[in-house]
Amino acid sequence: MSNNNLFLPVGFPRAPLANGVGRWICQLQRLTFKFCKNYPSSRGMREFLEFELLDFTKKNPGIVVYVKPRRHRAPNLTAEYLNGEKQIVDCRNFSYEEVKKWVSLLRSQSGRGTVRLLKMWHTDHPSIQGPWSPFVNRDPKLNWVEFPNEDLSQPIYIEKSATEKLIEIFEEQQRIERQPKQE
Amino acid sequence: MSALRLVIQSTICGTNVLRCHEIFTARGIKRWVAPTLKELERRRKKLGPQPPPLRSSFVEWNYKAEWYSFGKRLHEEFNEHTLQRAFTHRSYIVKEEESQKEAGIENPELNLEDNQKLIVEGTNFMKKYIRNYVSLLLPKFPEEGIRAVCNYLLEDKMLAFISENIGTKDLILSSDVPPEEETLASTLKAVVGALIESSGEEKAGLFVRDFVVTQLVEKDVNDIWHPEDPFTTLTDIMRRDGREIPEPRLINETGRNTILSTYEVGVYSDKQFLGSGSGETIEVAKQLAAHNALRRLFKTTENMLPFSFKMNPYGEHVKPSIEHCSISEWKSKNVNC
Repeated sequence: MSNNNLFLPVGFPRAPLANGVGRWICQLQRLTFKFCKNYPSSRGMREFLEFELLDFTKKNPGIVVYVKPRRHRAPNLTAEYLNGEKQIVDCRNFSYEEVKKWVSLLRSQSGRGTVRLLKMWHTDHPSIQGPWSPFVNRDPKLNWVEFPNEDLSQPIYIEKSATEKLIEIFEEQQRIERQPKQE
Repeated sequence: MSALRLVIQSTICGTNVLRCHEIFTARGIKRWVAPTLKELERRRKKLGPQPPPLRSSFVEWNYKAEWYSFGKRLHEEFNEHTLQRAFTHRSYIVKEEESQKEAGIENPELNLEDNQKLIVEGTNFMKKYIRNYVSLLLPKFPEEGIRAVCNYLLEDKMLAFISENIGTKDLILSSDVPPEEETLASTLKAVVGALIESSGEEKAGLFVRDFVVTQLVEKDVNDIWHPEDPFTTLTDIMRRDGREIPEPRLINETGRNTILSTYEVGVYSDKQFLGSGSGETIEVAKQLAAHNALRRLFKTTENMLPFSFKMNPYGEHVKPSIEHCSISEWKSKNVNC
C-alpha cells in the first residue's frame, strides 16, 4: 500500500458558503465538453452529446454547458466550480457510460479538490458542557480542608497483602464453623 | 519506443537491412518540439508574471447563458435586462467610452446602464432586512451588539466572499480586473436590488436570509461584540435592576505563584449565582466571570440553541421590530419578551 495520501492536504468535510443551511446551490457552474468530431477516442463523448446532453441541461439549468469541438485531439471534460477551482477529466477512449458517470460525479461534488479527511464529520463545538478541568464536579467539601492533610495524603486504594487475605479467609472459616448445624 | 518497435519488427520479419534515418524519423517526440518549448518558455520569462486570463475572453463564453444560469443556480427568477444592469459598473462604462474616444469615435454610445441605482436600493434593503432578522435572532442583545453583528454581515469582506461564492466574479463588468473586494461586494448589493425589481421584496428578503444571514451559523456573537469592561457593565445593570452589586468570589484555584496558575471566580448578587470564569490571574478571571454573567443575561450563552434561519420577517407571522436598549440603559425588565 502506498502512503501517497499522507502528502495530500488534510481537512474536515465542510460545506462551502454554509451551503444547505439556507438553500442548496449546485457548486458546478460551468462544464465544457471538448472533443473531436471524427477521432474514435471521442466516440463516447459524441454519443453523450447526442443522446444525453439536452436532458442534462434541462435537469440542471444552473450549469452553463459549452461544447467545443477541436480537431484531432483527445476529448476532455472541463469543470469550473463556484470556488474558482477548475477540474479537467481526460476522456480519451471513454465509453458513453463512463462519460455519463464522470459528468454525474463532477456535477455532484463541491470542487474543493482531494483532501485527506481527518474525520467524517466536523463540529466547532465538540462539547456542550465545555472542556473538563480539575474543578469540574469537585467535592465542595474540599473547600474547607486545610493542607497538608493526613487523610488525603494516603493512597486512594491500598491492595491487601497476602497475610491480610489469609487472615480474612481464616476468620470466614471460623464464622461458618461457629454456626449451629442444621439437621 | 516506436523506434525500438521498428527495430524489433525488422528483425522478426528477417529484413536485416535497417536504414539509419528510419530510426531518427520514427522518434516519438519530434526534434523541433524541445527547442520550440524552450523558446516559448524564454519569452514567457521575459514578459514577467501576467494577470490570469479573463474567463469572458475565452471562445467558450456566452453572456446570455451565463446570466440565465446565474438566476437558475440561485433558484431565483431575474429579469434578464435588470440582471445585466446589476453586473455593469459605472467604471466599465467610463473605460469603454474612453477607449472608443481613443479609437476616434466622437460620441460613443454604449446603450449600457450602470448599477448605481440598484446598489443604493439593495444596500438600503439589506440594511433594513438584516437588522430586522438579527434582532429577531437576538431579542435580548443590546443595541451596540446588534449594530456590530449587522456591520459584520454587511462589511465588504463578508459580502465579497458571498458574492464570489455565488459566481458573480466572472460576470462583473468593471474596470478592475480581476474585480476587487469592493466591486464584488457592491455587485451583490446590486443583485439584491435587481431581485427586488424582478420578483419583489419578499423574495429578495429570502435571498438575503439564505445567503447573507446564514453566515452567522456556528458563529459566536460575543466574538463579534462584547462590552469593554464587563464587570463595570454588570455592576451598572445590577444597580438599574435594583439588585445588590455583584460580588466576585474565588471558587477554585490551583498553581498559585507558578506560571501555570489558574483561578476560577464566580460572580454573585443577593447570594444568587450570576456566572463564573477562569483565568491566569484573579483580575482576568473576574472580568471573564462578569462576561459570562452578561452572556447569561443577554441569552447568548455558549450552549444556546442554534439560530433559526427559517423565519420570514415578510411572511404572515410578522413580529413588530424589537426596540433594543443601549448597553448603558439595559435593564432586565426593559427588554420586551
